[in-house]
Amino acid sequence: MLASLISRELLNNLMTFRFAAAIFIILLLVVANTIVLINDYEGRLDSHNDSVNMHKRQLQEIKTYSAGSVHIDRPPNPLSIFNVGFDKQLGNEVRVAPVFVPSLWDAQNHGSSNPLMDMFASMDIAFIFEVILSLLALIFAYDAFAGEYETGTLRLVLTHPVRRGIILVAKYISAMICLIVPLILSLLLSLILLTVSNHINLNSQDFLRVGGIILTSIIYLSIFYLIGLLISAVTRRTSTALMLSIFVWGFLVLVYPNMILAMIGPNQPSQERQTSAYNSIEQMWLEFDNERKQYLATDDFPGEDWGYELRGWGSRSAYLTGSPHNLFYKYRCVMNFSGFGEEDEPKIPHARKHFRYLVPKIIDTADKTWIIRKPALEDIYIHPAKMERIWFKLSPVGLYDAATEAWAGTDVNGVRDFFNTARQYRKQVIDFFYDKDVFGSRQWFSSDKEAADWSDLPHFNYQRVDSYINAMRALPDVCLLFIINILLFVVIFMIFVRSEV
Amino acid sequence: MVWHIILNNIIWRELYDNLNSLRFAIATVLLLGLMLTNAVVYLREHPERMKQYQENVSTYQNNLYTQAENSLYDLAQKGPGLLYKRLSDLRFCAEGGETFLSEYADGGYNRWSYGSYNSLKSFWILAYPVATPNRHNVRVVVTKVDWNFIIGYVLSLIALLFTFDSISGERERGTLRLTLANPIPRHLLLIGKFLGALISISIPFTLAILMNLLIISTASGIHLRPEIWERLGIIFFISILYTCLFLGLGLLVSAKVKRSAVSLVILLLVWVVFVVFMPITLASIAGKYSSSGPTHDLWEVSSKIYKEQRSEYYSRIHNEIEGSIKRIELDGEHVIKDAEQQERLRTEQLSERIAEVKQARIITRFSPVTIFQHLLESFAGTGFERHLQFLENVQSYAREFREFIMDTDRANPDSLHILGVREGMSKKPVIPESVPLFEDTINFSNDFNRSLMDILLLTLFVVVLLSGAYLAFVRVEV
Repeated sequence: MLASLISRELLNNLMTFRFAAAIFIILLLVVANTIVLINDYEGRLDSHNDSVNMHKRQLQEIKTYSAGSVHIDRPPNPLSIFNVGFDKQLGNEVRVAPVFVPSLWDAQNHGSSNPLMDMFASMDIAFIFEVILSLLALIFAYDAFAGEYETGTLRLVLTHPVRRGIILVAKYISAMICLIVPLILSLLLSLILLTVSNHINLNSQDFLRVGGIILTSIIYLSIFYLIGLLISAVTRRTSTALMLSIFVWGFLVLVYPNMILAMIGPNQPSQERQTSAYNSIEQMWLEFDNERKQYLATDDFPGEDWGYELRGWGSRSAYLTGSPHNLFYKYRCVMNFSGFGEEDEPKIPHARKHFRYLVPKIIDTADKTWIIRKPALEDIYIHPAKMERIWFKLSPVGLYDAATEAWAGTDVNGVRDFFNTARQYRKQVIDFFYDKDVFGSRQWFSSDKEAADWSDLPHFNYQRVDSYINAMRALPDVCLLFIINILLFVVIFMIFVRSEV
Repeated sequence: MVWHIILNNIIWRELYDNLNSLRFAIATVLLLGLMLTNAVVYLREHPERMKQYQENVSTYQNNLYTQAENSLYDLAQKGPGLLYKRLSDLRFCAEGGETFLSEYADGGYNRWSYGSYNSLKSFWILAYPVATPNRHNVRVVVTKVDWNFIIGYVLSLIALLFTFDSISGERERGTLRLTLANPIPRHLLLIGKFLGALISISIPFTLAILMNLLIISTASGIHLRPEIWERLGIIFFISILYTCLFLGLGLLVSAKVKRSAVSLVILLLVWVVFVVFMPITLASIAGKYSSSGPTHDLWEVSSKIYKEQRSEYYSRIHNEIEGSIKRIELDGEHVIKDAEQQERLRTEQLSERIAEVKQARIITRFSPVTIFQHLLESFAGTGFERHLQFLENVQSYAREFREFIMDTDRANPDSLHILGVREGMSKKPVIPESVPLFEDTINFSNDFNRSLMDILLLTLFVVVLLSGAYLAFVRVEV
């Protein structure tokens, strides 16, 4: 019985204009945009590679260890084609130096990209699906009941010994098949385009992630189909159902996500939290500064000059610097000499001893302040953003966006993974420096005997997290989408079973 | 019957139909809600922005006066300081991506000083800082709810919903046959339907706009000057024209297609493609193809040029005694040449970036919503074109400022007339009031000429669609 009902409905749907339109429009949009997006990705990858090479070159030109810091670049995520998320907008290069702990809030953008182009909104496949899948689902659903009420065919069907639940399930399954076909077709085409491109290498993990995105898209699609069914069952007239569906669509997809965030306003980070965290960080650095001065006063070299009155050719600078808005603070101490006079030689052992003491001290202080800075940044930036997200997620569009972002690894967590790796890399660099006793070496501040050698520095290597972790991040939102589905289905069932034909 | 009575009857009938419908009610609620949001957000943000701007401008003036009181050299070396862009009061009409455009130009960008053993300092250059509001932003980025969004997206969708069944619906119900049984010419029926839909959309739209303006204009701290009301009038007119475009489209498809459900499906798909996707896709295409390879990192190029300059300078001053006229001349030449080169680099980078955006803006104009957005921006005095105007103002001010320095120096016969070094310049105190001040102006006279083209384009679209609808409707078999 179910099978024959499904085949009836399928035939009904497949022969319609809307099915042809659905296939055509989804294929058109997805394929056209995939080509554009692949181009865009390749452009970003080029810019990334340029930047990596430039940073390598720049590092080689630095002759002393104290003047050098490694710039590392965040590669663009190939799955940003599916949901660009934060991949494009957040900073994509950061300095790694022993003297401070890098975070997302210290990141910069590549100098070569054009910030004015940010004016234009960015496109991704998830956005296409958000808009078009929901619309198509409603177009398929509006006359499912209302049409049959009007033409009277429902009455006819119910004269047979068919349970109403079966009819509902048959309608749902057949329409979903019709909707999933263009979805899968278009995604397959875009995957083919992706694999054909030379620049994009997708591994098996990425295919799992894309699978997750497809699953989420189907669940999202089903929500809007059920909303359409609900409207159709309640209104009983096709024209009203269609009108109402489009308004609901416009509200959920177009109006609500944009309006709600404007309404609640920017969640201003708490000023007190920021000031208190910044003050305690500053306090730590001032304590450090005192200890440093103490050392200079008590060591066996007369005078308190941190540069040990070295008179060579080169430059030196040391200062404490900070900026309250991202709780950034550091002690920068750079000495870059290319030669010394005769009278300087006896001072050099003192200077080396001093740096051997000083730099680990700076590293310790940086690590200590990070313990305060990390939760403070969390409270000031991440937490308000999470609260806003909750409002955003009241619309299925918001849930779908968050879930696909998490699958693609372009959500905030995905971007922050990079900075976690950067911090681990900093530890490696520090260990490497300790092993080579770089801080106490002559090359720390001078290149007269031997220039700093960057060649055997540990290599920075960033791997995106395992797809299992992506799945765990996406799961809550996918589950919520699923629960909405079930709720809607139950409500429709109740209405349909009790309705008079 | 006389034609205008017929027309009148048709319009009234359409109006009654529409006013009693569900869509009218929902459209009213939606528009009122959006316009209310828009007003509330504007009132929350704008006074603060204004205050910030005024503070910035007064800091700039005070800085300039202090430097002028110090000496001509200080003024010439440090430059005028940060030059701020004047804010438009009509930002609620079109946000125009203002957050991505820097709100100031740096007219006091200093790069180096030789420190203790040489008193030489770099001269100021005009630099163009970039705004990167999203670099550290982990919040959701959404479209701003401005008039551009409300009218460009929501109102156009509503216009389609008001017309998709105006002909096909009547055909389905059979009332079209009935109507045409009377001696009513078809074109009058079409015009009547068009005007009826236009009026019934204008009612909630006008209500929403009036409420929005009422809230904004009665709020304390915001004064809308008379000329602003003129501009609002023009914006209203453009909005109506833009709505007509979609009414025409709706009528065309409705006349061509037999079933209203099919008509709506077609209209929605066309709308989604042209209004939602086209601007974004085209912008990404333009962004990719217009850039001529990756631009070099400005910082790297500039430091390379500076290093060359510096070594050349060192080799030239090698034999000159400090304090001699020749040395001062060399010093001055080095400083001035360096400033010129560095400023040229920055101007080149800026114009490359601007060219890329301009290209993207031209390509995206295939979408009517972008034409509408550009029109709104130019009448609201926000957005990219306005930013270019500001940059022009800044550049002409920078020239004026430099001329002032040279003239002041020339006016003093005791000076050596060597710019770039303290010893070479006039030591007479400068009267602070005589220093030219930067004042950004929003130039309104250009706007209309620039926008005329866009308005004509919109009108053309409307005419084409309406005549298409007429042709389709005349041939319809009832």
